[in-house]
Amino acid sequence: MTTTTTTAAQIPTSFGHELRACRRCRLVKTYDQFRDTGCENCPFFKMHEDSDIVADCTTGTFNGIIALMDPSRSWAAKWLRFGKFVPGCYTLDVSETLSDEMQSICHDNDVRYIPPKQA
Amino acid sequence: MSRRRDDYDDDIEDEDQDDALEEDDDDDDYGSSRGGGGRSGGKRRRSDFIDDVAEEDEDEEEDYDEDDEDYGGGGGRGASKRRGGKAAKKASGAGFFELEADVDSDAEDEDEEDGEDDFIVNERLDPRDEEDARRMHRRPLIAPEDEQEDVEALERRIQERFSRNRTEYDDDDATEVEQQALLPSVRDPKLWMVKCAIGHEREVAVCLMQKCIDRSSELQIRAAIALDHLKNYIYIEADKEAHVKEACKGMRNIYTGSSILLVPIKEMTDVLSVESKAIDISRDTWVRMKIGTYKGDLAKVINVDNVRQRVTVKLIPRIDLQALANKLEGREVQKKKAFTPPPRLINVEEAREMHIRVERRREQTTGDYYDNINGMMFKGGFLYKSVSMKSISTQNIQPSFDELEKFNHPTENGDGELASTMSTLFANRKKGHFMKGDRVIVIKGDLKNLKGWVEKVEEGTVHIKPKAEGLLTTLAVNEKELCKYFEPGNHVKVVSGAQEGVTGMVVTVKGHLVNIVSDTTKEVLRVFSDNVVESSEVTSGITKIGDFELHDLVQLDNSNFGVIIRVDSEAFQVLKGVADKAEVELVRLRDIKYKIDRKVSAQDRYKNTVSVKDVVKVVEGPCKGRQGPVEHINRGILFVYDRHHLEHAGFICAKAQSCVLVGGSRANGDRNGNPLASRVAQLRPPTRFPNSPGRGGPPLPGGRYRGGRGGKDSLVGTVIKIRMGPFKGYKGRVVDVHGTSVRIELESQMKVVTVDRTHISDSVNVTTPYRDTHRYGSGSETPMHPSRTPLHPYQTPMRDAGATPIHDGMRTPMRDRAWNPYAPMSPPRDSWEDGNPGSWGSSPQYQPGSPRSRAYEAPTPGSGWANTPGGSYSDAGTPRDTTPTYGNAPSPYLPSTPGGPPPMTPSSAYLPGTPGGQPMTPGGGGLDMMSPAVGGDNDGPWFLPDILVNVRRAGEDASLGVIREVLLDGACRIALGASGNGEIITANPNEIEVVVPRKADKIKIMGGEKRGATGKLIGVDGTDGIVKVDESLDVKILDMVILAKLAHLS
Repeated sequence: MTTTTTTAAQIPTSFGHELRACRRCRLVKTYDQFRDTGCENCPFFKMHEDSDIVADCTTGTFNGIIALMDPSRSWAAKWLRFGKFVPGCYTLDVSETLSDEMQSICHDNDVRYIPPKQA
Repeated sequence: MSRRRDDYDDDIEDEDQDDALEEDDDDDDYGSSRGGGGRSGGKRRRSDFIDDVAEEDEDEEEDYDEDDEDYGGGGGRGASKRRGGKAAKKASGAGFFELEADVDSDAEDEDEEDGEDDFIVNERLDPRDEEDARRMHRRPLIAPEDEQEDVEALERRIQERFSRNRTEYDDDDATEVEQQALLPSVRDPKLWMVKCAIGHEREVAVCLMQKCIDRSSELQIRAAIALDHLKNYIYIEADKEAHVKEACKGMRNIYTGSSILLVPIKEMTDVLSVESKAIDISRDTWVRMKIGTYKGDLAKVINVDNVRQRVTVKLIPRIDLQALANKLEGREVQKKKAFTPPPRLINVEEAREMHIRVERRREQTTGDYYDNINGMMFKGGFLYKSVSMKSISTQNIQPSFDELEKFNHPTENGDGELASTMSTLFANRKKGHFMKGDRVIVIKGDLKNLKGWVEKVEEGTVHIKPKAEGLLTTLAVNEKELCKYFEPGNHVKVVSGAQEGVTGMVVTVKGHLVNIVSDTTKEVLRVFSDNVVESSEVTSGITKIGDFELHDLVQLDNSNFGVIIRVDSEAFQVLKGVADKAEVELVRLRDIKYKIDRKVSAQDRYKNTVSVKDVVKVVEGPCKGRQGPVEHINRGILFVYDRHHLEHAGFICAKAQSCVLVGGSRANGDRNGNPLASRVAQLRPPTRFPNSPGRGGPPLPGGRYRGGRGGKDSLVGTVIKIRMGPFKGYKGRVVDVHGTSVRIELESQMKVVTVDRTHISDSVNVTTPYRDTHRYGSGSETPMHPSRTPLHPYQTPMRDAGATPIHDGMRTPMRDRAWNPYAPMSPPRDSWEDGNPGSWGSSPQYQPGSPRSRAYEAPTPGSGWANTPGGSYSDAGTPRDTTPTYGNAPSPYLPSTPGGPPPMTPSSAYLPGTPGGQPMTPGGGGLDMMSPAVGGDNDGPWFLPDILVNVRRAGEDASLGVIREVLLDGACRIALGASGNGEIITANPNEIEVVVPRKADKIKIMGGEKRGATGKLIGVDGTDGIVKVDESLDVKILDMVILAKLAHLS
């Protein structure tokens, strides 16, 4: 099983306003979870090292939650281009972009950042 | 990677074999494409692939057939999308492989080509999709050059892509086309819609996730989706419904008891496409509150805290100070949550007076001082409130003018407000806001106030042709520096905002605001000139949403109902069915239960049955005196339409009990055929008809009307019907009388004919008596000019007849009939329009049988009647009081009025021998006499100095003149000539005809409360004129009949 090969991301421990989504990979966790362990897909942000980065790299405004049990074989994951991410809870859409600084971190780590499509 | 693949394959073995095979193929596809980059993937793999392609093509053909069956024509989108997706997927892969195949193995290539060929032929035969054709040219078969180019580009891209990333689905460079390649196919897992507890959607999805992790391989679902906008449901992605059920087993908040719905393939992408809300909140933008007391209210962003996701907004407070004071003092708080106080700027002093503690505090961040009341911050009367970003909506905020105006508090810098308003407006401008030919004005920069026309529009720049002289070339101006410009009189259409769709005429222009008189409602609307385009279109705007239309009677909730008096773009304004107070509510479509469409009737004060379309008069309550036809009846409430009532689209809501039937509204045989007797008897049993002993004629007082003076001109100006000769049946106005011949201006043909006097019947003009009647109701009875009575001797008897019933307050209908039993055409409007000064001639819909005639308009001064203060009417009034009793308390005037007692019917004076000889028109004969009354009585007060008139004297052509003076007897001294510098003559009122003004003419108002005022006619709408009154600059809608062209005096 895929789930055996990839460790899943932390699963949010609450469902309310404490939830935040990573602005790059759209992983959803609580603020505390991000602060403690960072983002499983984007370790290069080093969120767990500085809680300010958490605020910069995540956002509280997102739309919809998708729990991906098996990203590699899910059509929804494919469609949303989450295929290569770890299993976990994601959001369908974030509405805020990464700051330029963070974008350059992405670039340095050879990770493409796709800004959200603005309506 | 391989590890994963293996897993995958293992997994699939549990599943349907075919499926597994296909999936495997697909996977190979990807796998080998990746291998393609490094070439090490091995030959076996590729040949596998190529074989597979051939095989798969067949499958796909089948698939397509299936699709067609599945979706039919309607499902074309989904099907073609899917096909497109597959084709694209294939195209990218195939193109790439072909190149590789060229190099590697020709034989296999051929194989592939065959396969592809087949495929494409099939595609081509299929005429459905253009997209396919477009995508097709990525394929190598179309044109060699393309192939070369495409293939190279493709190769580069694929190399680049796969060298970096080795996942199934690539994230990078997400173009539209590549996204298409990801469209779901039948082989993808499916989405199932599962019901869950409301409010627990996210939780359910997260719990499913947790469950999957905890139980590892047992659950076969792939994803669970909770959408913010979809309550009560989540989606679960799985291959089989059984997997979904398995996963949901034992879960709280998921209801698998109800059906699990499969989402059709074509709708799968819709599930995942959420609208990304670009939150772009910056200072000074306008937002609307989404929740709470201020829901829907406009607010202005003052400060934004992006980290805490909070916004400080400025609002117009909705605070009930009294309630607040009670609360603060610990007094009993009324638990009436339903009541939302209206928005009102708060007055701190007022609060202090109510012993509410007001603290003045300094805000640390901004350094501004605020008044703090119970934790709420106020400044300048506004409430400053910190709210969550989620609780405001920022998209498409279009503040209406009224809202913005409220924000324009005097303490604020008005200019700044307006500027920000304008910037908001400009930001909301649609693309293509300016169009060639638009009239614009420059609002910023050096060229400020320059007017011109749009010549050309480019992105952000508008080329305008200036209006100013000397500037011949076109100028390029930034779009933001331009504003549309209109002039009064322009006919425009509102193209955005709350009033969208409304058309009307511009009456005033103030800066960027234009006031428009709506074509339908006649209301004056204030809109931004930006939201308006010039248009000759006359529409009602929206008159319908859903099943409900303007003026429908609708049920709102169990106890409330009302009439839709306005339809906005999203809501209705409903005049609620509450008698005695006009209560208007804004309701949305969903708040309306149903349309009330029952045919019911009600009883008026005198227990007369009132049904829809009957004309009633309101005799009680705030709308007392109003009258009009009943439009709706429900639960004893009448909705009366009075077009002169300028509020609420002319609707008045009144209890049936407070109305009286005016009658005569329709050709109701029952009523019309039931003249005086029964009605009167019913209404006022002891009615005593004035005794008319020895009189032949009908038993009505009608015969006695003949007491008119036998003047030669008595006929002139009346509307008659020709009853004999070549013009039999024609109606017309008498313009002149010569001995026994009469010159008549025909209504239907614009010509004047001469007929014998005996050939006419005068059943038509019944206007005069009505007018009188109405006066009684209005109660100006005191004889102020008793001396006049002898002048109009015939009036007295007329009154008594008419007055008798009227006196009781509601006899008008009876009276109609009493007056003209032979004139069923009698315009019923007269009986009620009179009450509405200055506008009687203008509602054709209420005068079914009686075409408008010149006689009504010009020489018969309708409005004059209504307006004449006391004077001429009053003398009539007196007899009114006396006549019912006639013998008992004779009016002092009676003895002297020749028309009084019957024998002396003066009609014989000019209708020699005809009273009997005209059996057809006995009543009519009487009416003849009355016509001069119109002239005599009304013209005096009607005409005014300085107006332009046509003087028509017998035997002379009409000549233009200017009234210099109105003499006491109603005659006028007129200076001939258009500018009044000719000879001065004296003319009788019936020789004078007012010159009807045209648009843009200077006018004088001859009736109504504005009588005597001058103004400008800025538009004509049917029988109404739109007048800008000079003095007040008000815009009034007045009947054309009371407007006279003002002479240009030299």
